[in-house]
Amino acid sequence: MLLSIENLQVYYGAIHALQGIHFSVEKGEIVALIGANGAGKSTTLNTISGILRPREGKISFDGQEIQQTPPQDIVRKGIIQVPEGRKIFGRMAVWENLEMGAYTQKDRAVIKRDVESVFDRFPRLRERRNQLSGTLSGGEQQMLAIARGLMAHPTLLLLDEPSMGLSPLLVEQIFDIIQDINEQGTSILLVEQNAQMALAIADRAYVLETGKIVMQGTGDDLLEDKSVIEAYLGGH
Amino acid sequence: MRTSPVRNGIQTGTIFGIIMVMMFLIGFTVIGAELIGKILGNPSISGMPDLIYFVIFMILVGVWCGVSAAKRPLYGPDSVKDAVLAGLSAGAICGLCAAVTGFIFGSVAANHIDVRAYLVSVSPESISMFTFNQNPTLGALALFGVMTLSSFLSALVAVEVRTSQKIRTMIENTSGSISETVHSQRISDLLNNKYARYGFYLIVAIALIILPRTWGGYWNYVFGTVGIYIILGLGLNIITGWAGQLVIGYVAFFAIGAYTFALLTAPVPHNLLWNFWIALALGIVVAGISGLLIGLPILNLRGDYLAIVTLGFSEIIRILLKSDLLTTFTGGPRGVHDVGGPTLFGSSFNTDVDFMYIIIIAVLVVSFLAYRLQNSHTGKAWVAINLDETVARATGINAFVSKLLALALSAAIAGLAGALFASRNQFTGPDDHQLMVAINVICLVIVGGIGNIPGIFLGAFALKGLPEILREIENYRMLVFGILLIVMMRLRPEGFLPAKRPVLEKFTADQRSSTDPASHPGNLETNTPPGKGK
Ligand SMILES: Nc1ncnc2c1ncn2[C@@H]1O[C@H](COP(=O)(O)OP(=O)(O)O)[C@@H](O)[C@H]1O
Ligand SMILES: [Mg+2]
Repeated sequence: MLLSIENLQVYYGAIHALQGIHFSVEKGEIVALIGANGAGKSTTLNTISGILRPREGKISFDGQEIQQTPPQDIVRKGIIQVPEGRKIFGRMAVWENLEMGAYTQKDRAVIKRDVESVFDRFPRLRERRNQLSGTLSGGEQQMLAIARGLMAHPTLLLLDEPSMGLSPLLVEQIFDIIQDINEQGTSILLVEQNAQMALAIADRAYVLETGKIVMQGTGDDLLEDKSVIEAYLGGH
Repeated sequence: MRTSPVRNGIQTGTIFGIIMVMMFLIGFTVIGAELIGKILGNPSISGMPDLIYFVIFMILVGVWCGVSAAKRPLYGPDSVKDAVLAGLSAGAICGLCAAVTGFIFGSVAANHIDVRAYLVSVSPESISMFTFNQNPTLGALALFGVMTLSSFLSALVAVEVRTSQKIRTMIENTSGSISETVHSQRISDLLNNKYARYGFYLIVAIALIILPRTWGGYWNYVFGTVGIYIILGLGLNIITGWAGQLVIGYVAFFAIGAYTFALLTAPVPHNLLWNFWIALALGIVVAGISGLLIGLPILNLRGDYLAIVTLGFSEIIRILLKSDLLTTFTGGPRGVHDVGGPTLFGSSFNTDVDFMYIIIIAVLVVSFLAYRLQNSHTGKAWVAINLDETVARATGINAFVSKLLALALSAAIAGLAGALFASRNQFTGPDDHQLMVAINVICLVIVGGIGNIPGIFLGAFALKGLPEILREIENYRMLVFGILLIVMMRLRPEGFLPAKRPVLEKFTADQRSSTDPASHPGNLETNTPPGKGK
């Protein structure tokens, strides 16, 4: 088991945002975590990344407990988060953003090589390498956010709503890229409100509702589940 | 229904009228006239500037008023009449305000009543100048006439300039060719040419060696102060400009550096008489450590706690230094006298020229350090934290350690500045370390262009050099700061020389010839339409 979460409880002051959730990600999997706004999806990812501290519970990665590990060390262990809302460094150039993604890598030559290989995957970004990244289009910014995540060679990539605010065509492109990244060996924990797309590419999925996991199964199972269809797929 | 031009003119005129009256009441009309006289090469000797400079000052205000009134966006490019009407009414209202003020004060002065008891700056001389040395009625009429006329004419000219195609293309061409020169291949080639660069450095070096010998004591003092403020600006820029953590009480570290140095080298109160260089190093280290200690408990909190805590810290330090409590240890309110000067190979190196050299070298060292930091791994981390701390942490940056390092470095640099300041003045006391010093530094960093090293040089010259050149406005420095800051925010919100982001990658020759607009420095921020790239 690559990542396992047991009884995770997270509070914001008095708000009990995660009320004891359990789930896991196996090596090589795409696992989707779906849920409505405010369900606690981002909270889950931020806790795994070490940005938030759980009050209770265990997070194990590769057999080691990491719930007390600071974020910079979690990055070094190979868990990389692509935060929601395309949080790139808008006042840095595209290539500078990529360099920031490789922050843990000190060897300049390696960084250069990695930047080029990321550009091979995202040719659109290569064209705009010197552009101020805040001036990129929404889709390009999301690609840059993912590309920046890849710069750190993640073992497990945490994606927070990568389809948010993108046109259907771009969403499809982004999900193709996610599948492609997965096929090359990176495990993925995908957080989405766009349940349809997420479940279609996920091996397994969990449904999060107000801080609790209320359902789990393979992606295909959940796609056919009546209550999921009703709650998240605009059920017919 | 659209607002009528007259109504707009009245609005603008009222604002300018109020400003005008305010300026008169605080005595700025005299200062303004004096400044104009000075700029035109005729400094007043007897105290009051010539009347003609006051007239020019009033005309300038009128011109500004008229241009503002004509600029209101609701007049299309062709509605010359509306704009001129607005200019005329604005000038009339502004002139009316001035005339009424002039008449009232003129009559009061004519009855030999001195209003200085209530308004310290309104001297009989300034009233007399305000009414053009005429009787109240004539003066008021003249004020009204001058304001109305200059406002009207300037509105006319402004509209003409704006609407005339010929003038517009002329302006566009000039500004285009200026920016072309700045970005031109030849200049960038010259900058990249190794020999040209070395030659340039050589010239600068020779100038820096020769100039202090020709300046004389006073100007060495002025430029020494500028240099110390450059060092302070560069230091504050690390934590505030790059890492984005506002520090208000930056003067605390300046004080710690100054006092560490002073107490180690002065005969009273401790008679330690340490060597200059060792005391200097210790001043830097102690200030740096105090930055570290301040940062430890607060830098992992978000928000502007650092600003508040440093503000309190600096005031506590100043009050402690001022109190009699610590007199035996810090010299108390009277400060530390006979602070040691620099020595070189055992002999004294302490003339004003020598000290200027030391400051120049310190400025160069700190600038070099700043440049190296800016392009370093750590420098990038600071900028990332500034832009988005959460994302920065998610990319593996230890935000706490980075910020702590930034604060310690900033503090250490302030310590260096403080030690140099104490040594140069051969004295340091509590009043050297008022909050005003820190505010000055914040201002110069903002005015110069936050985050940008050349901008800090410019800011330090503008804020610490200019007031010396224009000695008279010393008393109005706060006012000028205020005006400068407002004007800055309006005209150049990112400072005179804003930091250039992004820093371009070094191009290889073939990349440069590519047609991709994004690779052209002039087109940094244009968004390439999809599919139009290489
Ligand atoms: N910084 C915060 N302070 C207080 N409450 C928060 C904070 N961030 C999120 N929450 C609350 O925690 C819950 C989960 O939020 P979040 O994880 O962002 O949801 P999601 O990502 O699924 O939309 C919500 O009720 C939200 O209001
Ligand atoms: Mg969220």
